Amino acid sequence: MKKLISLILAVCMLLSCVAALADVKETVTGAEALTHDELVALAQAETGNFVVYGNTSRIETAVTAFGELYNITVESSNLKDAEIYTKLEAEVNAGSGADMVMIQDGAQLTYAMEDGWLVNYVPASVKEFIGEDDLLPLVHQYINKLFIYNNLGEAVPAVKNVWELTDPAMKGNIIFKNPESEQVNMNFLIMLTGEEWSAKLAEAYKVWADKDIELGEYKNAGYKWIAEFLSNCTFGSSDTTIAEEVSQETAAGKIGLFVLSKLRSSSVLTDNLTVAQYDASANGYTVEPFAGFMYPMYALVSAAANRPYTAMLFIEYLMTAEGFGPWGKSIGAYSSNVQIPAKEGDLGIETWKATLVMEDPEYILDNGDEVRTFVSKYIQ
Amino acid sequence: MPEIILEHVSKRFEKFVAVDDLNLQIANNDFITLLGPSGCGKTTTLRMIAGLETPTEGRILIGGKVVFDAAKGINLPPIKRDVGFLFQNYALWPHMTVYQNIAFGLENLKWDKARIRSRVDELLKLMRIEEFEKRYPSELSGGQQQRVAIARTLAPGPKVLFMDEPLSNLDAKLRMEMRTELKRLHKDTDSTFVYVTHDQLEAMTLSTRVCIMKNGLLQQYAPPLVMYNDPANLFVADFMGNPSMNFTDGTWENGTVTFGGLSARFTPDEEAAIPRDVVVGIRPEYISLNSEGAYTGKVYSTLPSGMETTVKLDVNGTPLTAVVFGDVDWPVDTEVRFDFTKSALLYDRESGKRITRGKLGR
Amino acid sequence: MTASTAGTPPERSLARTGGKLRAWFSKPANVILLLFCIALIVLTLYPLFSMLSEMFLVHSPERSMVRKMGLKVGDFTTVHFDKLLFTLDDGIGGDFTTSNSWINFYQPLLNTLLVSVSASAIAILFGGVVAFLITRTNISCKKFISGVFVFPYIMPSWTLATFWQTFFKNTQIGLGTSNGIMASVFGVYMPEWFVYGPFPIALVLGLHYAPFAYILIGGILRNMDANLEEAATILKTGRSRIIRKITLPIVKPAMLSTLLLVFASSMSAYSVPVFLGNPVRYYTLSTKMKSMMDTYPGQAYIMVAVMIIFGVGILLINQKVTNSRKQFTTVTGKSGQVSLIDLNAGKRIIAAVLVIILLMVAVVPLVTFALESVIIKAGDYSLSNMTLDFWLGKGLTYLDQGDDTGILLSAKVWKALGYSLLLAVSCALIAGTCGVLIGYGVARRRGSRLANWVNNLSFFPYLMPSLAFGAIYLSMSSKLSVPLGLGVLILAGSIKYMPFATRSGVSAMLQLSGEIEEAAVITGVSWWKRMLRVIFPIQKSSFLSGYLLPMVSCMRELSLFVLLVPTSNTILTTMLMQYSEKGWAQFGNAINLLIIVVVLLINFVVNKLTGASIDKGVGG
Repeated sequence: MKKLISLILAVCMLLSCVAALADVKETVTGAEALTHDELVALAQAETGNFVVYGNTSRIETAVTAFGELYNITVESSNLKDAEIYTKLEAEVNAGSGADMVMIQDGAQLTYAMEDGWLVNYVPASVKEFIGEDDLLPLVHQYINKLFIYNNLGEAVPAVKNVWELTDPAMKGNIIFKNPESEQVNMNFLIMLTGEEWSAKLAEAYKVWADKDIELGEYKNAGYKWIAEFLSNCTFGSSDTTIAEEVSQETAAGKIGLFVLSKLRSSSVLTDNLTVAQYDASANGYTVEPFAGFMYPMYALVSAAANRPYTAMLFIEYLMTAEGFGPWGKSIGAYSSNVQIPAKEGDLGIETWKATLVMEDPEYILDNGDEVRTFVSKYIQ
Repeated sequence: MPEIILEHVSKRFEKFVAVDDLNLQIANNDFITLLGPSGCGKTTTLRMIAGLETPTEGRILIGGKVVFDAAKGINLPPIKRDVGFLFQNYALWPHMTVYQNIAFGLENLKWDKARIRSRVDELLKLMRIEEFEKRYPSELSGGQQQRVAIARTLAPGPKVLFMDEPLSNLDAKLRMEMRTELKRLHKDTDSTFVYVTHDQLEAMTLSTRVCIMKNGLLQQYAPPLVMYNDPANLFVADFMGNPSMNFTDGTWENGTVTFGGLSARFTPDEEAAIPRDVVVGIRPEYISLNSEGAYTGKVYSTLPSGMETTVKLDVNGTPLTAVVFGDVDWPVDTEVRFDFTKSALLYDRESGKRITRGKLGR
Repeated sequence: MTASTAGTPPERSLARTGGKLRAWFSKPANVILLLFCIALIVLTLYPLFSMLSEMFLVHSPERSMVRKMGLKVGDFTTVHFDKLLFTLDDGIGGDFTTSNSWINFYQPLLNTLLVSVSASAIAILFGGVVAFLITRTNISCKKFISGVFVFPYIMPSWTLATFWQTFFKNTQIGLGTSNGIMASVFGVYMPEWFVYGPFPIALVLGLHYAPFAYILIGGILRNMDANLEEAATILKTGRSRIIRKITLPIVKPAMLSTLLLVFASSMSAYSVPVFLGNPVRYYTLSTKMKSMMDTYPGQAYIMVAVMIIFGVGILLINQKVTNSRKQFTTVTGKSGQVSLIDLNAGKRIIAAVLVIILLMVAVVPLVTFALESVIIKAGDYSLSNMTLDFWLGKGLTYLDQGDDTGILLSAKVWKALGYSLLLAVSCALIAGTCGVLIGYGVARRRGSRLANWVNNLSFFPYLMPSLAFGAIYLSMSSKLSVPLGLGVLILAGSIKYMPFATRSGVSAMLQLSGEIEEAAVITGVSWWKRMLRVIFPIQKSSFLSGYLLPMVSCMRELSLFVLLVPTSNTILTTMLMQYSEKGWAQFGNAINLLIIVVVLLINFVVNKLTGASIDKGVGG
C-alpha cells in the first residue's frame, strides 16, 4: 500500500523542492563559536529560499529587512502556534521545510525540543546581553496581555484587584480570547493554580473581601478565581477584535485581557482605552496580584532547515536592536537583550516581570491536563 | 349529455401559432380522432378541451356548459370539467402501487373504502391486471402499464375520455390488441372519446369521425371512410391510406386528363369548374392490373406482403403504385396492362384543393 | 473456441478464465473502474483508516495527559475514548451536565445535530420552494432570482456569518461593545437568540446551502413529467393534495440528496459556528474538534469519526431510498407543455419578497465588504474616514507594520491570486476529468459491484471534515517523506472535491444511451476518440459544470489547505486569514471581495462561453 501511495505522490515530489536532510543539530553546535563575519559568509554560501514560520505577524517585516541586508531570498508564513507545531512535526519527518521559527507556548516547545524538531542557537555576539533564564531555549522577546479597559462613561472598570472581575455585576463585561483557542491564554490560567499564584490570589482576596477566602469545592484560590472569572467573560475571536471592540464609544464599562501591542493598530480607538497597570504605576500602586500575563516568544532553528547558517544569522539579527525594530517600535514587546530598552511610554520588562503571571513550562506540563478539563467546564 | 363544441379556438405560444381558429363539434358518444403529423396542434387542442392548456381565443362548451370563454374570461379548471385523460406515457405515479394509482381518483371523490375496493377490483378485472395489484409501475411491462393507466382513467367513470397517443409506446402486436379493446371500451362505457394520434390507420379503424389538422389548421372533419374516399385536399389525401394515393400532375381539356404520358376520359361526379392544371389522385387499389387493360406500363418492383401485393409501375417515366389482392409476383421490367377502376380525384394544382371526384376511363 | 481445439479440462478452464479476463479487460469501463477503485482506496480509504487509527494513538501534545500512565508518543491507547465518551462525572460531585464528556462531546454533538438538521430543513424548504416557484409558477423576475440564488454558495460561508454579525450586533448582547447597522441606523436591538447561537447558525448555513436544494429539487421538477401532476388534476385532486401526494414523493430522492449534502457540510462547518456561536458559548462538534486538535488530537479524531459515521448513515439511507422498488423514472414526456400555476397578483409580491431576501443574502454582504475595505477607523462611515488606499495605495501610513501597498498594487496579492487560480484550475481539471471517467465507468457497468464501490468511494471525501482531511494529508506526506508543495495541495483539493464532479459525471452519463457510443464502436472509432469526439461534446455543459464546482470550492477553501500550504505558495484564502489574524480588517475585506469577484467572474465567463453553470454541476 505504501509503495502505491509513494508512486502517486512521487508526481508531487517533482513540484516540491527536494533537499537532503543535513544534520542540523551538528551544524548548529559546530557554529557556536563562529564570528559574525564567518556566519555571514557561510549563510550566503547556502542556496535555496530561506523560509521562516512565525506566530507574530511582524516577522514578515523583519525577515524582509534581513533579506535585503544580506541579499538573501526570503519567505515567511504567519501561522498559529499549534499549526507551526503540526507542520514542524511533518516537516522534520519529511526532512524538508522551514529553516527557522519564532514561536510561543513554552510547554509545547519543551516537547518539540525533546523530540529534536527544533535546535537551540545562542549567537555568540549577543550572549552576554541575554539573561541566564532566556538562553535555553532562546527567548527573543516577551509579549504581555494586560487588563485594558474602556475609560468612557460612569462605571469605568478601573481594576485594582483581580477579584473585582469575579463580581457577578461584571458578568458580560469582560472580554477574553477563548483559552481553548490559544494556548498561552490557557497557560496563564494553568499557572494560576500553582502554589505561587494561588497563594497570591488568596492574599489578594483577603484584601478585596476583607475576609479569608472560602474555597468550597475548589482546590485553591487559583481554581476559584478561574471559575468565577471565566463565568463573567465573553469570548472574542481574536485579540485584535477584542481591542477594537473594547475601544468603541459604545463599549463603556467593558474590560479586556489582550495583547498590549494591539494598541498599535489604526483600527483601535486608543483614546478610549486605559491600560490598568499604566494607571496603577502612575498612581503608585499595582493591580493585585497581577495586571495580566506575559509569555516568551522563542527563536529557534528548525531541524529540517535547509539553510541552517542563514537561520543562525537571522537569529543573531533578530537579537540586535535593528532586528528587533519591527516589534520595538511599538509598545507591548520586550527584547530579551538587556541592551534594547522598552518603547518609550511603556513600562520596562523588569516591572512587568514583577506584576505579570509568567509561564513555567514544567508546571504547565505537569498540571495542564487537569486544569484544561477544569477550564472547559467554565467556558461552557 | 356531453357534446363538445369548440368555437374559433386559437392558441399561440409567443409567436408560434399552435392552433388557429378551430371550430369543432363533437357529438355525444362519438369516438373522435384528432389526426395529423407531429406539431400540428392536435395535442394542444386536446389539452385545451381538458383544461390543461388555456386557449388564447375562442369558446369551448362541454355538455352545453361554457367551460372556456376568452371574451368573458371564463376558464373552468380541469377538476370542474368532468373529463378523463389518458397520457401518452401513461403518467403512472411511480411511488404508488397499481391499486393506489387506480384508487387515487376515487379517494378524491370521497368514496368510502369498500366502494373504492369494489370499483378498483372491477377495473382490475376489466383490464385483466388483477395479479399486478400490489406492484409498482416500474415493475410492469409497457402493455401492463397502459392497462393500469386506462383503469385509472376509467375509475371515476368519466363521460368524456381524452386520450393522447396512448398506444404509441407499444409494439405492433400489442397496439393491435389494445385498439380492439379501446373500441370495445367505447361501446361498454357509453362515453365520448377524443383520441389523438398521428397514425392514420388507428384513426381509420377506431373513430366515428376524424379531424385532421396541419400547422394548427383544421383540414377536414369527417367520418373516416368519407375522408378516405373523398379527401378534401392533397394533404389529407396523402395522409390517409397506406400505400398512399398516387398523385400525378395532369392537364384537363375537354373531358380528358392527360398525365404521365397517357390520356383518359374523366367523368366528374358533380358539376365543377375544372382548371387546366390539375393533380390527378388515384388510390392504388383503383388501378387494376389485367391483360386486357387499356394502358401499359413496366413493373419497376413488386412488394408482396401475403394478403396483398404492392406493385410499383413505371408508366412512361411516371411512377404509379397499384395494389393487387393476393400474392402475385411479376418479374422486374415485365410489361403489364392496367385499367383505372372505381374513382379518381382531381385537385387544383395551385391550391391543392379538391375539385371533384369522378371516374377515369377510356 | 470449440471443445476439440482445447486441451485437457484444467487447461481448458484456465484458457477460459484467461479469455474471460481478457474480455473483461478489453472493456475500457472495466479498466477505468478498476484503476479508480485502487486509486480511491489509496487516496480516500487509507486516509480514513489513518484518521481512525489516530483515535488509538498518543500524540505529542497529549504527553502531559498520559505521563502518569507511562505511555509515550505513538503508543496504543484507549484513553481518548475514556476521556471523551465515558467521563460521565466531573469528579467533584457535580451531575452529568458538568462532566467532561457532556461538555466536550455530548453537548456539542447535540448542538451539531440540531444545527445541521435545522440547516438542512431550511435549505430544503427555501431552495425547494424557490425551485417550485421558478419551475411551476408564473412568478416574475425568474431570471434574476435563479441567477442570484446560487451566489450564497459561491461566496465563502463565513461571508454571510460575518455579515449577519456586523449587521445585527448591538451593545445589549454578545460582546456588547458596539452597534451594527440594525441598531445604529434603525435603532432596533435584536435579541440575543436572533444574533448568536443555534438560530442564526442554522439559518446562515441553510441559506448558504439552499442552492443545493434549489439545484437538485429544481432539476427534478424541471425534468419531471408534468403529466404526473396533470393526471392527478384530471382526477379531481386539489392543489395541496397534488403537492403532498404526487410532487413531494417524487422529489423525495432529491430532497434526501440535499439532506445528505447539507447535513454533511453543516456538520463540518467551522467558521459559521465560530463567528455566531462562540460569543454566546455555543459550541458545535466542529468548533470543539478544532480546538481539541491542538491539545488533544486523539479526542479530536474521535469527533471526526463521529461526524463521518453520521454522514455515512445518511448516505446509506439515501441509497436505500433511491434503490427501492418505487424506482423513479423522471424521463420527460412532453414537459414543454407544463402549465404554470397562475399566481395572479402574488406573482409580483412573492417575487419582490424573494428579490429582497436575495439582495440581503447575496448582494448586501458584498456591498458591506466593499464599504469595510475603504474605511479607516471601524464603525465610522463618514466620507472623511474613507480611502481607496487599501486597494490602490502606496506607502500607507494607516498601519504601522507590514504591508504598505493596496492589494491591487501588491505583488504578493497577485502572486497569491495566481497560486489560488493555479490550484483551483488544477483541482478542477483533475477532479472534473476523474468525474467524467468515473461517470463513464459507473454508467456503463451500472449496478455491478465494482461500479457501486467506485461510486461510493468517490463520494467519501465529502463526508470527511476538511480540517481533518488536511491534517491527514499532511501526516501522510510526512510519513512518505514527500515535502509539501503545490502537488500535495492539488491532490488534496482534487480528492476532496471529486464528489461534485463524480455526481455530475454519473448523472450526465446515465442520461446518455449506450447506443450512442455503440454506434461509434461499430465503425471502429477508438476509445479515446469516442470519449473526446462523441461522448464529451454531447454532455459538454454537464461535464464542464462538474469542473466548475470543484474550482469554485477550491478558490474559497481555507481549512483544507491551511496546514498544507507551503510558504512559497501562499494562496488568497490563507492570506485572508493572516490579514484577519493581524487585524487588518480593511485588507481582509478587500481580499474577501477579490475572491468573491474572481469566482463570480470565472463562473460568468465559463457560463457564457460554454453554457455550463454551477447549477448543473451538482447533478440531478
